[in-house]
Amino acid sequence: MTEFLIRRVLQSLLVLFLISIVTFGLIHAAPGGPTQIFLSPGLSQEAGRIQAHNLGLDQPVYIQYVRWLGGMLQGDLGQTFKNNLPVSEILWPTVQNTVILMGVAWLFAMLIAIPWGIYNSTSEYGISDQTASMISYIGFAMPVFWFGIMLQELISIKWDLLPLSDMYTMGKEGDMGDLFMHLVLPVSVLTLGFLASYVKYSRTSMLEVLDQDYIRTARAKGMKERRVVFRHALRNAMIPIITILGLDLPILVAGAAITESVFNWPGMGRLFIEMAVAREYSVLMAITVITAVIVVVGNLIADILYAIVDPRVQIGRKGGVSS
Amino acid sequence: MSVANLKEIQPEPGHDTDLQPILPLPPSEKPIGLWHMAFKKFMSNPFAVSGLVVVLFFVIVAVFARVIAPYDPAAIDLLNANLPAGSPNHLFGTDELGRDILTRLIYSSQVSLLVGFSVALISVVIGTIIGSVSGYFGGFVDTFFMRIVDVMNSIPTLFLNILVLSIFGSKFSYMILIMGFTSWMGSARLVRGTFLQLREMQYVEAARAIGVSSWSIIGRHLLRNSTAPIIVNATLMVGGAILAESGLSYLGLGVQLPDTSWGLMLSNAQQFMLVDPMQALYPGLCIFLVVLAVNFIGDGIRDAFDPRKKVKIPRRRLQQWRESFLKSKI
Repeated sequence: MTEFLIRRVLQSLLVLFLISIVTFGLIHAAPGGPTQIFLSPGLSQEAGRIQAHNLGLDQPVYIQYVRWLGGMLQGDLGQTFKNNLPVSEILWPTVQNTVILMGVAWLFAMLIAIPWGIYNSTSEYGISDQTASMISYIGFAMPVFWFGIMLQELISIKWDLLPLSDMYTMGKEGDMGDLFMHLVLPVSVLTLGFLASYVKYSRTSMLEVLDQDYIRTARAKGMKERRVVFRHALRNAMIPIITILGLDLPILVAGAAITESVFNWPGMGRLFIEMAVAREYSVLMAITVITAVIVVVGNLIADILYAIVDPRVQIGRKGGVSS
Repeated sequence: MSVANLKEIQPEPGHDTDLQPILPLPPSEKPIGLWHMAFKKFMSNPFAVSGLVVVLFFVIVAVFARVIAPYDPAAIDLLNANLPAGSPNHLFGTDELGRDILTRLIYSSQVSLLVGFSVALISVVIGTIIGSVSGYFGGFVDTFFMRIVDVMNSIPTLFLNILVLSIFGSKFSYMILIMGFTSWMGSARLVRGTFLQLREMQYVEAARAIGVSSWSIIGRHLLRNSTAPIIVNATLMVGGAILAESGLSYLGLGVQLPDTSWGLMLSNAQQFMLVDPMQALYPGLCIFLVVLAVNFIGDGIRDAFDPRKKVKIPRRRLQQWRESFLKSKI
C-alpha cells in the first residue's frame, strides 16, 4: 500500500509539474508574448516598458517561469495586467460561487441517479429503465446553453416564476432564500447533464456485478433479493462509480462555464471566459493550474479509495490509473 | 455439422422411430462476412437508420446550401427586421437586422457538419497513432504518451480550447485544428487498450515469429482488428465536436460574424429573448437533432459489431427457410 501510495503521489506531482510547464509555455508561445498583447492599446511605449519591467516581463522566459511557479507555490497568483489587481482577490469569490452551484447540482444528481440506476438494474428494460435511457440520450445530445435559454424563456419570462439570471437580486446579497430561487434553473440544467451519464453508469455497474457467481450463490442460499442487491451487489458496484466520479472532475469544474454564462452566475468558469476575451493571462494561468490541481488531487483520492476497497488494484495495476 | 452427418445418425433400436433427424438451416447463397453482417444488423435497427436519414438530410442541406437558401445569409434588411415565424417570404422570420433565419440555419449546418467531421477525423487519427504506438511497444514510449494524456486530461477541454483560441485568435481553420488537437485522448486510450488485449493473441505471436516487422503487425493485424471500436469512437466524437463548436460559438470564441453558426445564432437570440422568444428555438433544435442522430448512428454501429447482440433475421429469409424445410420433409 505504501509503495502504491508513494508511486501515485509522485506521478501526480510529475503531472502537475508538466501542466505548469504546458500552461506557461502555451501562453508565452503567443505571437508576440504577453508583453506585446498588453502593450497595444491605450499605453504609451514608455509606460508599457515600465509596466513590463514592474511585472517582470522583460526577464528571460525561464526566469519568469521560475518566479511564477515560486509565487504559485506560495499562494501568490500574480497580478492582472490591466489594473494591477491581485489575481487571488478576483478569483477566490468566483471559486466559492462555482462550488455552491456545482456542489448542489452534483449532489442532487447523485441522489437521484444512483438509486435510480440501482432500481433500473433490477428491472432491466422496464418503463423506468427506458425513461432513463431516453433521458440520457437527450442529455447527451442537448446543448446545455439551449436548454438553459429555453428554461429562461418559459419559466422566467413567460410564467415569471423564477429569476432570469445572476446569483442574487440587487440589494439582497447574502439572502439564502433569494440564492435558492436563483439556483433552481442552473441546477436543473446541470442536473440533466449529470443524470444523463450517472444513471447509465450506476445501472451498468450494478448489472455487471449482478451477473457474478457470488450473487448467484447468495440467491441460491435463499437470501432475500433486497439483501442480495444492497449487501452484496451494491458494495461492489460502488467501486467503478467512485473512479468515474474522479474522472468526471474536469467536467464538474469546467462544465459550469457555459451554464454560468447563460445564467450570468459569477463563477470561475464565467470568469475564465471573460478573462480569455480580455486576454488577462495571469488569471487564465491561475485558473488552469488551480483546476488541474483539483482534478489531479481528485483522481489521486479516487485511486486511493479504489485501492482501499479493491485490494486487487495494488497488485494488478503497476502503472497507476492509466495502465 | 453438415446434412450428411445428421442423416447418418440412426435412431437407436427400441426408440421412437417417428423421430425425424433435425435438419440444419439450409446455407444462404453467400457466406456472410463480418462487415456484411454488421451492415445488416445496422439496417435492421430503426434508431440507427432514422439517425442516418437525419444526418443525410443535413448533409444534403449543407452541400446545396447555395441552391436551397432563399436569401443571402448576411444580407441586412432593416425594413423587415424581427418578423415573426410564418411571415410571407420569411418562413422562420427574421432577426433584429432583418436577416432571414431559415437561410442562416441552412448555412450554419455547413459549419457544424464541417467542424464535426473534421475534428473527429483529426482527433481519431492522432489518437489512433499515439494509442497504437504506446499500446504495441509499451515500456518507456507508453509511459511517455500516457503522461501526456494525463496532463491533457487534467485540464478541462473547454478551458484548453478557450485558452488556445484566445491566444491564436478565432480563425475557423484554427478552431478545427485546436479542437482536434485537444480531444484525441479518448481515442488514444481506447486504441491502446484494444492493442494491449490484441497483442497477446496467438496470431500476433505467430506473425512475430515468422519475422513480420512491428509496423506491419500494427497496420495489418492490430489496426484492422480494432477498426470497429475506432469507427464507433469516431462517430461519437462527431456529436461531441458539434456540441463543442456550438458552445464555443455561443461564448463568442468560435465562429465569428459575419459567418454564422447555430451556436452564434443562439447567443444572438438570447439577447433578443424578450422581443422574439421563438428565435432561440430553431438553432438549438438543429444542434439537438444532428447530435442525437449522430449518437444513434454511433450506438447502431457499436451494436452492429457486438457479437453479443443477436441478429434479427428478416421475415423473408425466415419464410424461405420454412419453405425449404417443409419441402425437405416431404
